Amino acid sequence: MTRTSGDRTAEASPVTGPFISTWSAVSAFGIGRESFSAGLRDRKPVVTALDPDQWSAPATEACLVPGGDPRELLGRKGTRSMDRATGLAVAAVGRLLDDGTGTRIPGVDESTALVLGTSNGSVRSIMSFTRDALTEDKPYHVDPARFPNTVMNCAAGQSAIRHGLRGPNVTIAGGRASALLALNHAQRLQRSGHARSVVCGAVEEFSAERAWLDWHAHTEQGRAPLTGEGSAVLLLESGAPRGGAALAELAAVEVGLPHAESEVTAVLADCVRRALARAGLDADSVWAVAPADLPGTLGTAERHALDEALGGRTPRGLLCTELLGDTGAVSAAFQITALLSAAESDPESAGRAGVVTTVDREGVVGCALLRFPGPEHGRR
Amino acid sequence: MSSPRRVVITGLGAVTSIGTGVAEFLGGLRAGRSGAKPVTSFDVTGFEHAQGCEIDDFDAASYVHNLPLREYGRASHFAAAAARMAVEDAGLPAHDLRQARSLVTVGTTDGESRDLDRLVQQEVAHGPERMDPVVARRVPAGRLSVAAARELGLVNVEAVTLPTACAAGNYAIGYGYDAVRTGEVEFALCGGADAVCLKTFAGFYRLGTIAPERCQPFDRHRKGILTGEGAGILLLESLESALARGATIHAEVLGYGLNCDADHPVAPNEDSFARCVRLAHDNAGIAADDVDLISAHGTGTKANDVSEARAIRQVFGDKTPRTVSIKSMIGHTMGAASAIAAIACTLAIREGFIPPTINHVETDPECDIDCVPNEAVDADLRVVQNNALAFGGNNAVLMLGRYDTGGPAGPAGGHR
Amino acid sequence: MTSPSIDTDLESKVKDIVTDILEIEPEDMTLTSRFKEDHDADSLLAIEILASLEKTFKITIAQEQLVNMVNLQGVCEVVAEAAARRQ
Repeated sequence: MTRTSGDRTAEASPVTGPFISTWSAVSAFGIGRESFSAGLRDRKPVVTALDPDQWSAPATEACLVPGGDPRELLGRKGTRSMDRATGLAVAAVGRLLDDGTGTRIPGVDESTALVLGTSNGSVRSIMSFTRDALTEDKPYHVDPARFPNTVMNCAAGQSAIRHGLRGPNVTIAGGRASALLALNHAQRLQRSGHARSVVCGAVEEFSAERAWLDWHAHTEQGRAPLTGEGSAVLLLESGAPRGGAALAELAAVEVGLPHAESEVTAVLADCVRRALARAGLDADSVWAVAPADLPGTLGTAERHALDEALGGRTPRGLLCTELLGDTGAVSAAFQITALLSAAESDPESAGRAGVVTTVDREGVVGCALLRFPGPEHGRR
Repeated sequence: MSSPRRVVITGLGAVTSIGTGVAEFLGGLRAGRSGAKPVTSFDVTGFEHAQGCEIDDFDAASYVHNLPLREYGRASHFAAAAARMAVEDAGLPAHDLRQARSLVTVGTTDGESRDLDRLVQQEVAHGPERMDPVVARRVPAGRLSVAAARELGLVNVEAVTLPTACAAGNYAIGYGYDAVRTGEVEFALCGGADAVCLKTFAGFYRLGTIAPERCQPFDRHRKGILTGEGAGILLLESLESALARGATIHAEVLGYGLNCDADHPVAPNEDSFARCVRLAHDNAGIAADDVDLISAHGTGTKANDVSEARAIRQVFGDKTPRTVSIKSMIGHTMGAASAIAAIACTLAIREGFIPPTINHVETDPECDIDCVPNEAVDADLRVVQNNALAFGGNNAVLMLGRYDTGGPAGPAGGHR
Repeated sequence: MTSPSIDTDLESKVKDIVTDILEIEPEDMTLTSRFKEDHDADSLLAIEILASLEKTFKITIAQEQLVNMVNLQGVCEVVAEAAARRQ
């Protein structure tokens, strides 16, 4: 289902694939795109001391979204039983769809899809619900209003409900690779005619439950980054631009599944090489890389893969984990918005490409390749 | 890009409470077997009734050969077992599968919530610092698809889990269909998996939607769902590929539709679901008149069955095809439900029969459909529709067709 | 339904629960204003009210009683009856 070349001849745009026309983020840097860009520019890690009365987590600090409680983010109406992950996603999608004056951005219509990545929905919602079943007078003395929160598509469903998105509504669970898998899903929906534009991104919440699970599951990993959270979403369009300028073309997404940790470097390097080949680009055209940057052996393997695939070249590096913590399922989405944000203020990006890589602990590795419009075309 | 390819189903893997393995499952469907029995996977003290459709004789080790079983939860075991069965059913050598670019996509509602139940038990009893780290590592839902891919030794693979609740199986199959159709992958293993857990039972019980004894879709006196478990995985490949390797073609995937009610988190919206059915018909290039059978979402709750029946009548008018619910037999297997139902549809097409809606006494006049009560019937089926609705207003409708060697499937003799 | 005695204490506790769940101000609800028609309640909210009452008053309310729980008056009667049955 490739578009006919006539679609954009008048524009003489270099963009040929699906393209990103806008994005937003709700992160520890604050609410919205400007806060995210400012935080990334200042490169000051955001650390919150955890209130022990609110969070009984195995840590004293985390990278929390300021005012990240659903009631603070969205007001009182309809948020009484909303969980944090859902609130973060609803807020990020709301920011994306609003042009800043309370009007919906162009490019979004009745068939616009939503594809949202998550690690496990809200493990806090699931575990609290089960805890009630085990500790209340009767096992069914659970809060019915919170039952939908225990299902992993809650954030996507609520985002659709609150923002009237009636197209395909997809939730992806792929750990750190969630946002890359979501992008791939989004472009397949477009190619096969299920949606013309897709709101695509990911969400992750902080909770004591998540922190405990991570603490148990990954104690062998040595010093772990602080636990982080947030949501980042972008509008992926195809065809003639309607939602605004093409900030970047989604040139390729490639994923693989190494058998063992010892194969991460080889499989990820192969993904990056395949992505470049698919886009018809060489390693010299890579302006910046935004890796997952996990501590320990997985982070090392990721760096080696980039070295291998880029032939030892060292493009500009954009690191998010050291600023925003381990943001789990939203990490790759933040890496993408970091690339988009940096490209806006870096003329070196013009006509060149950015690479996002990820290595999920559960096995999936992958990359996305974004191509930025050339200087001769300006930013439409 | 070259012209879209036709996509066929050549392998089936089923883990269900009425039979594990496709032959056993087919036997159960034909006989109208019931998987209902008292729930044993968690302590049911305090519930006034606790029937369910659990699989009590599943021995993962007899199906799963390569996965370190202790490191994966029950839903992952189901997914890996069903994927292994589907590949074996397809007669596809493992080596050939590994050499090709593939997709493994598993839908789920609860992922490994069975393990989360257990971790909460440990936390309540001994404190959060005493949770079992091995069980904690099994929790991430992404592992369901990873388990299936790892079991088969796949590396050049996109392994993705779709937790789109109770419509997840159809989402996964639709995604596999698109990926094979556009030529991005050679093979897609897609379906769904879920394991019974306390969390979901307590939730549906609280909503008043768990039937005390049996699941009776479209019956005047239906009382709700029975929670079930299992997995269904289908192997999809291009028609060209299947013909080239001389594979048995069970059925063809004609297309699918997805949409979202954007209305209520749990209550279905019949207008929106009718729209989804039309999207599926358009995507498959068929007309409503072409549909010979509907495999309903048919949960057996008051709300679902009447909304679904009304949506069906909106689309089909007075010529409503026969509409059955296999949930009457295997309960509501959540994210696996529409995947297992898709396998039932495939078998129905291939074998020329319609599986019954069991436990049926008297059709609810508000539903007013022929649900093929209690006994399977023979039928010549060319086009079958598989419905799924989920929390969050996530609707997914899949269209399957018979593959005839004489020419393309579909009533128009070549709809694409 | 015969009305067991409903004291003002019970009524005020029930009202707090219901108005909190329906996200409305207590002064906007009367004994006979209808949850669904006047306060935008739906079936999930109705079950929420039932569930919250069961936990708060340590009573059991059959799902069939939902048809009587259409306004504050009806809810108070159902609660009083369930409480009386328990004693």
